[in-house]
Amino acid sequence: MRNHLDRRSLLKLLGAVGAAAVFRPGLAQTSAQAEEALPSFTGPGPNPYWNGVLPFVVYPQKLPLLRLTDRGIQLETPRSYFRTAFTPNEAFYVRYHLDEIPNEIDLATWRLKLEGNFERPMELSFQDLLTQFEPVSIAAVNQCSGNSRSRFQPRVTGGQWGNGAMGNALWTGVRLKDLLKKAGVKAGTVQIQFEGLDRGKGPENLGSGRFMKSLDLNDPVIEETILAYLMNGEPLPMLNGFPIRLVVPGKFATYWLKHVTWIRALTEEDKNFWMATAYRIPDTPNGSTTPEDVAAGRVKTVPIGKVNMPVRSFIIDPDGSYPLVAGLPAKIRGIAFSGHGRVVKVEVSTDGGRTWGIAALGEYYGPYSFRTYEYTWTPKAPGTYVLAVRATDEKGNVQPDTPVWNPGGYLWNKIERQEVVVLAAK
Amino acid sequence: MKRFSYALVLLALIGLVAAQGLPGVVSSGSYTVGGLGMILQPKPAALSGGTVYRVGAWPLYTAELADGPGKELVMGYCSVCHSVTYITMQPPLKDWAPTVNKMIKTYGAQIPEDAVKQILAYLQAYYSVQTRKQ
Repeated sequence: MRNHLDRRSLLKLLGAVGAAAVFRPGLAQTSAQAEEALPSFTGPGPNPYWNGVLPFVVYPQKLPLLRLTDRGIQLETPRSYFRTAFTPNEAFYVRYHLDEIPNEIDLATWRLKLEGNFERPMELSFQDLLTQFEPVSIAAVNQCSGNSRSRFQPRVTGGQWGNGAMGNALWTGVRLKDLLKKAGVKAGTVQIQFEGLDRGKGPENLGSGRFMKSLDLNDPVIEETILAYLMNGEPLPMLNGFPIRLVVPGKFATYWLKHVTWIRALTEEDKNFWMATAYRIPDTPNGSTTPEDVAAGRVKTVPIGKVNMPVRSFIIDPDGSYPLVAGLPAKIRGIAFSGHGRVVKVEVSTDGGRTWGIAALGEYYGPYSFRTYEYTWTPKAPGTYVLAVRATDEKGNVQPDTPVWNPGGYLWNKIERQEVVVLAAK
Repeated sequence: MKRFSYALVLLALIGLVAAQGLPGVVSSGSYTVGGLGMILQPKPAALSGGTVYRVGAWPLYTAELADGPGKELVMGYCSVCHSVTYITMQPPLKDWAPTVNKMIKTYGAQIPEDAVKQILAYLQAYYSVQTRKQ
C-alpha cells in the first residue's frame, strides 16, 4: 500500500472511506453532554482537558471547530470526531502560520512549478497532474508538531493545542519521486524545497513573509511522499491545502505544505527561517531537555523532520462528561498511531496505569494511519476511576508515562488518562 | 429577555411539580437559555462554473483585549501581521519581552522603541502569570 497501491486495495480503501461518508459517524456526534460550559482556563498549569479550552467557530467548508486564532487561522478538531479511523474533511484541523490564505484559486492559471537544479524545469497544470501520473493512495496521520502543547510544564509559547491538532485521511495524488523523475534531479542537489500560496504581511526574506520547508534528497521519506489532490476521496478543503498538499507519511505536519505550487531542487541546505530556526528539537534521544539547559545555551538542535512522530494513543470514549453505571459494560474506545509504523498493541488500564489489559484493534489501513481500538470494561463498584491507554508500535516503541519538555512544545506523547465516575445501580 | 427568563422559571416549576411522584425522577423539564444564533448555517454558494475554486471570506473571531493603557498600541502594531487573538491564546507568561523581541528581531515587526515599552508594559499588566485573569 505504501508505494505500490494496487487497484484492489485502492478500491477497498476508497470503499471504506465511502462507507464512512455514507454513515457519517463523525457528523452525528458534534457534542457530548453539555451540562455547563467548560470554564475558561489559560494556565500557568497544564491544560487538564482533552481539547484546548476554546470557543466553537464556523469556517467555509468546516463544521464547528475550536478556534485558537482567527488571523492566521488555527482551528482544533473536537474530540468526538476521533471515534473513526478517518477524520472527516469538514472536521479536520487547520493550522496556518501566515494570514494571506487563498479564497479563490483559478485552476486555469494555477501551475505546479518545478524549479532550480532540475534537468528539465517544468510547469504542470492541475489537469497534467491528474492525467500524466499514476495516482496512488496512502492513509496517513497529519499531526501538528505542537499537538498537545498546552500540556507542557512549564508552559511554552506557541499554539496552545489540546489533543485535536491531528487527523487521519486517505490521501490520493501523485508520487513526489515521479515528479522528480520527470523533471530530472541534477547531480549536486541536496534538498527539495516546497512552498505554497500562503503569504504573510512580513518581509519576504523573513519567516513572517513566506513559509517554506525542505526535505533532504536522501531522506527515505522522499520515496513515500505524495502530492495529494484528494483527501478521503474528495478535493481538499481550501483550509487544508486545495488544490494539492504535500503528504509526508510519518513526519510532523510542518512538512505537509498546503497549496503546494513550487518544488525547488536546492544545491545547498535550506537556511530559511522555517528550517534553520523554527521547528527544531533538542538532539536528545526523545527530544527532551530542560529550561535550565536551554537558558545556558547547552542544547544542540536539529530540524523536527529528522525524527518520525512518536507513538501515541487517545481515549475518545468515555470522555468524562457522563457517568458509567456499575455492572453495565462500558466501551473504552479511541485511536492510536505511530510515525514509526504499524501499531501492534494498545493496552487499557482502568486503575490509573497500575494494571493493563489488551484492547481489540480495529481494521489496519496501513502503517501511518490511525488505528481504532476498543476495550469493554464492566466496572463492578461505584466510584471514581482513572482510565489510561498505551500503544506500542511495530518497532517496539511504547508510550512513556513521563512528560517531554522542549522550548518549542513538540513531541508530546505521554500516556493519556481520563477520569470517569461510576454510579451505583442498586 | 426578562419576561423570557420568568417564563423559563415558570416552566421549570411546572416541570418540578409535574415530576413529583414519578419514580426516580429528581428533576425534569429543566431548560436554560442557549446561545441562539451563535452558529449560523451557511447559505449555499452561488456557483458560477468556470475554473475558479472559491470559498467565502475568512470570518474573524478576534478576542477582546483587556482595557488599559497601551491597548491601542497593541491593537495597532500587533495586528499588522496577526490578530490579537494570538495574545489571549498564550498561557500567562512570566516575561513577554522574549516574545515581543522575537516579533521585532525575527519577524521584522517595525515598532518605535517608545511603543515597544508601552506594549510590553501592557502585556505584563494584563497577560502575565501574576496578572492574567482567566
